[in-house]
Amino acid sequence: MTSHSISDSADMAASRSRADALASFKTGDTIFQWMTYLAAACVLLVLGGIIVSLFFGAWPAISTFGLDFLTTQRWAPNARPQAVLGGLGPIYGTLVTSVIALIIAAPVGLGIAVFLTELCPQWLRRPIGVAVELLAGIPSIIYGIWGFFVLGPWLADTIEPAIANAFEGVPILGALFDGPASNLSIFNASLVLAIMILPFVTAIARDVFSTVPPVLKEAAYGLGCTRWEVVRHVVLPFTRVGVIGGIMLALGRALGETMAVTFVIGNSFRISGSIFAPGTTISAAIASEFAESRDLHQSALILLGLLLFVLTFFVLAAARLMLMRLERKQGA
Amino acid sequence: MNDLSITEPATKIAVRNLHFYYGGGKPALKNINLSLGANQVTAFIGPSGCGKSTLLRVLNRMYDLYPNQRAEGEVLLDGENILSPKQDLNLLRARIGMVFQKPTPFPMTIYENIAFCIRLYEKLPKSELDGRVEKALRSAALWDEVKDKLNVSGLSLSGGQQQRLCIARTVAIKPEVILFDEPCSALDPISTAKIEELIDELSESYTIAIVTHNMQQAARVSDMTAFMYLGELIEFNETTKMFTSPAQQRTQDYITGRFG
Repeated sequence: MTSHSISDSADMAASRSRADALASFKTGDTIFQWMTYLAAACVLLVLGGIIVSLFFGAWPAISTFGLDFLTTQRWAPNARPQAVLGGLGPIYGTLVTSVIALIIAAPVGLGIAVFLTELCPQWLRRPIGVAVELLAGIPSIIYGIWGFFVLGPWLADTIEPAIANAFEGVPILGALFDGPASNLSIFNASLVLAIMILPFVTAIARDVFSTVPPVLKEAAYGLGCTRWEVVRHVVLPFTRVGVIGGIMLALGRALGETMAVTFVIGNSFRISGSIFAPGTTISAAIASEFAESRDLHQSALILLGLLLFVLTFFVLAAARLMLMRLERKQGA
Repeated sequence: MNDLSITEPATKIAVRNLHFYYGGGKPALKNINLSLGANQVTAFIGPSGCGKSTLLRVLNRMYDLYPNQRAEGEVLLDGENILSPKQDLNLLRARIGMVFQKPTPFPMTIYENIAFCIRLYEKLPKSELDGRVEKALRSAALWDEVKDKLNVSGLSLSGGQQQRLCIARTVAIKPEVILFDEPCSALDPISTAKIEELIDELSESYTIAIVTHNMQQAARVSDMTAFMYLGELIEFNETTKMFTSPAQQRTQDYITGRFG
């Protein structure tokens, strides 16, 4: 009897302390919940703030040039009586350099990733993987210097004349590779960009390739597939979503890359049909002119920034849309 | 199931003095000697880690995908040593199909899962390809369930259906031998019964090796049974004898559930 009542009171004490503990947990949980809300709200606030400030900064240019800004090539901040500023050149340059960079970097990056995950002997995996990661760690200014002093002259002296000769007289391609070779060109910028985004494509592709279940690959090998067939029909379809996501991230980076491109693109607002001619991109134009700009000129540069923002947004939205359609087609 | 009139079937695969290593150190398979009769079902039983699946992976040289793994000895397929470095692996795997423990449909439609495999070896016009896909799905007893949804993803099927899709895929490339690595361990009893029935039918045209943890399954589907333990082949005999009067005490202990 005695022992029974003792254990009873012990039980009661235990349950009370448990209720206290639970109550304090509950307060902690509520605080935690609000903190996560706050963190999420910060993102929206910052995003909204950037859009609003860009829009206000760009307003004088928008009200002056309107939609003509998108179709005008002339960039004359000192024209009289009023500056004539059109964004077509930088927009064109941004799109062209990013697309060429992607065309070069995506296959090479996927190739490296396939090699690293499927074919590479074990002892070589780490050195190559580390080398790719180091490539991502090189500051963009270094790429700029290298593109300016090494890649540019080499392209202008050997590669570009050779390509121009090879395609001379060919319709469309002839014009694309036409003109005097130039140290600073869209082509140069595209190559530098390609090298810069290569590690991103590679790293993401390698990560998603390694998520393919080994048994799925074994099943394909078990049917007598070659390594190419396994990669083409099993690994790539299985990882499609991740691969496209990685390529789009790389494209986003290429669109916004500033320092290296400013170094090697030549900063010419005139659009040339040839990719061997100088050009400019949105970020290069802003970086090279913002310090000396005033009034309407500055507003036009901010408008360019807003356009880059919109462009990047559309690229990401397009990627999402593409993935959604792919998934629907797949029926998964 | 056990047609007693066929007592001495022709040997399809002969394993001779096989040792297998997953790296340095102790062998995972020790001096295995056995023969798989043509058009027979041979079951491999034994506790986990005894080397059953390893042996299966030697038969189609799946181990070749992984560096450091190596086999010594001989595996003769119709008299030719498939462990020889000159053996073309893609060709070998076309002759020896494999169905895995987990269903492994490829990330494509049901139709493509089969058609893809056929296209690896034959260039066929669309109409003929359609016919072959249907035939493969029929031989895996799946056709009636999927004929109206050939264009949906293979991943949308149930586990049992997926496994039969994998069997259909394996059958589609007309192999001579089919290896089943615990094909029912992830399936419910009804799907399991279907697969077992299928294995029985397939044994009319193919030589079959099946690894299983389920003793009743081995007794139901196989003509011959091999009992393995710690990388060694303990006993290899006709299934009926094995389950009624095993020669070895260890076999007796295992099949009566005293260990393992």
